[in-house]
Amino acid sequence: MPELIKSTYRDQAASLSGTLAGLDSLRDKAIDRFAETGFPTARDENWRYSDIKRLRGQAFAAAQIQSDARIPDAICTTAARLVIINGHFDQERSDFGDLLQAISVRPLANHLMANSERANELRVGREATSVLNTALMRDGLVLVVPAGVEIDDPIEIIHIMHDAENAAAQVRHLVELGEGAKATILERFIGDDSAYWMNSVVQARVAEGAALNHYRMQMDGSQAIHTANAAVSVGAGGNYSACNVSLGASLARFDAQVRLLVDGANATIDGVALAASRQSHDMLVHVDHRMPSTNSDQVFRTVADALGKSSFQGKITVADGAQQTLADQSFKALLLDRTAEANAKPELEIFADDVKCSHGATIGELDAKAMFYLMSRGIDPTTARQMLVEAFTDDALARIDNAAIADALRNQIKGWMMAHVPNTSGKDAA
Amino acid sequence: MAGTQETREQVAEITGDYKYGFSTDVEMDMAPKGLSEDIVRFISAKKDEPEWLLSWRLKAYRAWLKMDEPDWAKVNYPAIDYNDIYFYAAPKSQDKPKSLDEVDPELLRVYEKLGIPLAEQEVLAGVEGARKIAVDAVFDSVSVATTFREELKKAGVIFMSISEAVHEHPELIQKYLGTVVPQRDNYFAALNCAVFSDGTFVYIPKGVRCPMELSTYFRINAENTGQFERTLIVAEEGSYVSYLEGCTAPMRDENQLHAAVVELVALDDAEIKYSTVQNWYPGDKDGKGGIYNFVTKRALCKGKNSKVSWTQVETGSAVTWKYPSCVLAGEGSVGEFYSVAVTNNLQQADTGTKMIHMAPNTRSTIISKGISAGRSQNCYRGLVKVLSGAENVRNYTQCDSLLVSSTSGAHTVPYIEVKNPTAQIEHEATTSKISEDQLFYCQSRGLGEEEAVAMIVNGFCKEVMQHLPMEFAVEAQKLLGISLEGSVG
Repeated sequence: MPELIKSTYRDQAASLSGTLAGLDSLRDKAIDRFAETGFPTARDENWRYSDIKRLRGQAFAAAQIQSDARIPDAICTTAARLVIINGHFDQERSDFGDLLQAISVRPLANHLMANSERANELRVGREATSVLNTALMRDGLVLVVPAGVEIDDPIEIIHIMHDAENAAAQVRHLVELGEGAKATILERFIGDDSAYWMNSVVQARVAEGAALNHYRMQMDGSQAIHTANAAVSVGAGGNYSACNVSLGASLARFDAQVRLLVDGANATIDGVALAASRQSHDMLVHVDHRMPSTNSDQVFRTVADALGKSSFQGKITVADGAQQTLADQSFKALLLDRTAEANAKPELEIFADDVKCSHGATIGELDAKAMFYLMSRGIDPTTARQMLVEAFTDDALARIDNAAIADALRNQIKGWMMAHVPNTSGKDAA
Repeated sequence: MAGTQETREQVAEITGDYKYGFSTDVEMDMAPKGLSEDIVRFISAKKDEPEWLLSWRLKAYRAWLKMDEPDWAKVNYPAIDYNDIYFYAAPKSQDKPKSLDEVDPELLRVYEKLGIPLAEQEVLAGVEGARKIAVDAVFDSVSVATTFREELKKAGVIFMSISEAVHEHPELIQKYLGTVVPQRDNYFAALNCAVFSDGTFVYIPKGVRCPMELSTYFRINAENTGQFERTLIVAEEGSYVSYLEGCTAPMRDENQLHAAVVELVALDDAEIKYSTVQNWYPGDKDGKGGIYNFVTKRALCKGKNSKVSWTQVETGSAVTWKYPSCVLAGEGSVGEFYSVAVTNNLQQADTGTKMIHMAPNTRSTIISKGISAGRSQNCYRGLVKVLSGAENVRNYTQCDSLLVSSTSGAHTVPYIEVKNPTAQIEHEATTSKISEDQLFYCQSRGLGEEEAVAMIVNGFCKEVMQHLPMEFAVEAQKLLGISLEGSVG
């Protein structure tokens, strides 16, 4: 990678010095590490299916504050709508509802200002994108839900990228749920057609008996690069439930690292990716079962149309002594066109014997028999195909416990199908 | 499922008892330790090789120097000092023996002790009415005897050591050597190309069904030596061959390197069945000694409707790094991989297969059973790849892991890469221990715990075992028993 890119990012990190209290030494550490490693290549195992030539080929400027971006309508009743434009939290255009009476929500800067020791909670990260996020983070939200507080309606965080050609947003959110707390976070990502880079890191801690639902609706602009990392730790009897629906961006990556740290911790991580022309969607999950009696389940469904590519790398680790672990994973990919591509690497790494772990992966086209069945009932081929694709992706949405969010996601998937499924000329239609 | 003290002792006893661990004093002819261009020239000269082969070796050696040892497998071992290995060790003999009578009787006794019949009238002990098996016996770096050659010759089958084939059938060797596994394929393959000492060459002419099973028996005997054999099997149009391979080594405290290359070529409608029972010395219960088994095995299904089937039972070696693969280049060709890998004590195995679907209507089946006991690590690593021009590809993969101890590890790393929508790819994997219910059921029928475990493990492996030729299945079952009996804990 050209040294110029590294030095540009180093300059950007230096210019941020002093902007977030207590963070400078972490920034230095991160930029040094980034300078050492640079961006990965396809030779790096976790990046073998992501082509990040564009990240390697140019330095993105820091995206600037924008006030004229349009804020989309809410898709469900929300507890609060928090707006982030070009990576900057826009307090004025956010709607906190009654949220602040129950929980604490504040921008990263304020959170750190109150106590700079808190900078120690931030992690440098493992992947180059997270490391660079640490070096260049400017803003983000810190949500702290106190013990026992349950927020029923989702807290929506809308990320908007507007007029950000060749610019990047480095967003860092921290989410903390106290004992027995409950919250749902809906992250939405939208943007215009400028060639921007959205790089987000979410760090979440789910305490004993707490439950965090984390839904993501990724609809970034068609020229965008979207890289996201979620680092989550779950306590005893706690539950982390995620669903990532990925439609936008030319290159999209969602990388979830979930650690089940105490007996009885649970996680479910699901996802849908729809890859149209020249899009590449990459989803990575690592569920780390550290302690006995921890459970995890994953359901991923991807659909790739002409020149689209969907990839999945799911890893389940069961540590030595983490007995009575149940871990399950299912990945299915549908290819709609000759030029579509799907890759899967479902990996198990198991160091304990009293466990039950399994994964299943399939890749193929629509089942000709199912098509025939529907058509013999008088359904036209296009509708039949859409029904089957819908049923296929629906598997991964089954665990979303907010009907409005599930419907909104379904509508987006439907919209995608309208544009892509009729165009396919599967031989089953003959 | 706590094992009793008695059980544990029994395990220690059994696993400590590697019955092929003896070594033999045979007068040896060795090259100096270490590796250099001179050693490569020495090996080539020893075998009186033609110029083209020497330059081929040297090219590989130079390529190897620039390559890095792979580190992606889930195995750990101390760095290998390539200058502390004898790359050539051969039993001393005046001339090539003309018949078995001229082979050093000490060597014959070794094979007798191993239960490998080198005398042609004999068949494997303990199997009544067994079929004839032709054997090529490789002792350290050279082939010492090949049986049933005359009878095979009548059928047109060429079965001889590869160094003889270089002289007798240079056109075939030149045509096929290195075409399936290129010199630069990987670090250990390149090393093998440079220093391979001997191995087996099999050629089945058009339309011939090989009249008997062919077999190579590898034995590492000398200390501090590496074994680098090379096997090349070519099955012409419409032919069929079943080939078996077995191996053992003495118990020594040092680790020994075994880096083989196996190349199979199947032309139109040909079928090759390749079975391996790998029983290299696995090291002692503390992980001392044992063979590093770093092997590249690949089949090219070049012809239409050709078929290659790999069956392996892996019980030995301290470290295994082995991925028998099929390149399905001929339309309608079929690749199969059936594997049982058992690790105990401190053994490490990273093994699996690659199925590369290049042509339409190609099919592959992968059945892998991993069993981890003791403090061992057992990893399945596989790739199923479908290229965009390959229509109607079908693959079914099943990888099951059984954990027999709480201190062992079982890992699965499958890669699935598909660029054609008509492909139908299925992959399933499970990891679990022997279920309490199954054990209870068996025990309630009066079986002891040991027997019950053995029965369940045998059932677990059955899908693979049934693909082994009968003689091997017998040996493999016994091996499974030895490797695992009583290791429940």
